Amino acid sequence: MTERVWEVFRQEDEGDPMVHAGNVNAPDEELAVHYAREFYGRRGESHRLWVVPRDAVTELDDPDLLKPPFDRSHKRPGGYIIKHKLERAKERARGDAT
Amino acid sequence: MTTESVAPALDPGARDALAELVLSLADDEFIIGFWDSEWTGIAPMLEEDVATSSIAQDEIGHAKALYELLAELTDDDADRIAFGRSIADYRHAALLNHARGDWAFSAARRYLYETADAVRLTAVAASAHPGLAALAGKMRREETYHLLHADAWLRRLADGAEDGRRRFAESLRQLWPDAQQVFAPLGAGEGLDREGWLPKPMPELHAAWLERVRPVLEPITGELPAASPDAGGRTRRTDDFAWLHGEFTRVSGSEEGALW
Repeated sequence: MTERVWEVFRQEDEGDPMVHAGNVNAPDEELAVHYAREFYGRRGESHRLWVVPRDAVTELDDPDLLKPPFDRSHKRPGGYIIKHKLERAKERARGDAT
Repeated sequence: MTTESVAPALDPGARDALAELVLSLADDEFIIGFWDSEWTGIAPMLEEDVATSSIAQDEIGHAKALYELLAELTDDDADRIAFGRSIADYRHAALLNHARGDWAFSAARRYLYETADAVRLTAVAASAHPGLAALAGKMRREETYHLLHADAWLRRLADGAEDGRRRFAESLRQLWPDAQQVFAPLGAGEGLDREGWLPKPMPELHAAWLERVRPVLEPITGELPAASPDAGGRTRRTDDFAWLHGEFTRVSGSEEGALW
């Protein structure tokens, strides 16, 4: 039997994110599901499993796209650091009040 | 266990009939669990090794629960029943007298056993004994997966390469007469009916199993001979079983009564 690699994702409880658990070798989907259940669910630790053939996964690992050389800090959700500006603004506001 | 309220009320005849039924179920699960655990470390692939070992553990877990129920009924000890009997006192079906053989042989036996066990458990889950019925209901939930796994291997071997298909078909034909013995009549047959411990008689369960497996197996094996359960189906023992008995009693026999 030719084996394929299947990536397994598991969810601990309803509503939790699906997290990559690991992978299994299996010749087809049916046995892949059985083996995923044995490896990542036989102790009652999983609420749900996703079993995906590895070749169905589109991979992106190009550093030019993912880790470009220029400063990317302005794209982070934190954005600009405004802590000090905010403190100065508060001081000004207090000064106005007195 | 939920048997405390029931056990004291049983008259000895009814209790003995129930005990014989529970022992036959327990020994079947115990012995197939031990044979299949012989694959640990050497199954065809790592994943299958884990799956087979885990299923074997499940079967021994079912046997443990059944031996505990039996120990309550007969005021005995579950470990004593499991490990403390001589070869002649085991009551598993003749199907489980054989060593594991090659992978096709073990897969053939698992298919025959799981299908027969499924038919039998459906009846036992409706037993008039509430403790046994509840236990059978729980076992059926795990056996669902065992059956899927056995069925997956049946199709792979039957539809696969010539060598595997031939070995699988030969194993099925070899095991066929002994597989009938899962439904061998128990000594307490009448008592089982009268008390409702087994709500359907063995011949009816046997017929239901044949109806289910013949159409699946005969395209693989060719026509299978007429074969029937017989009175010795749970008492005949073999050298293979004598060897296994030596294996699984070795530790408990090394120091009798030791606590673990």
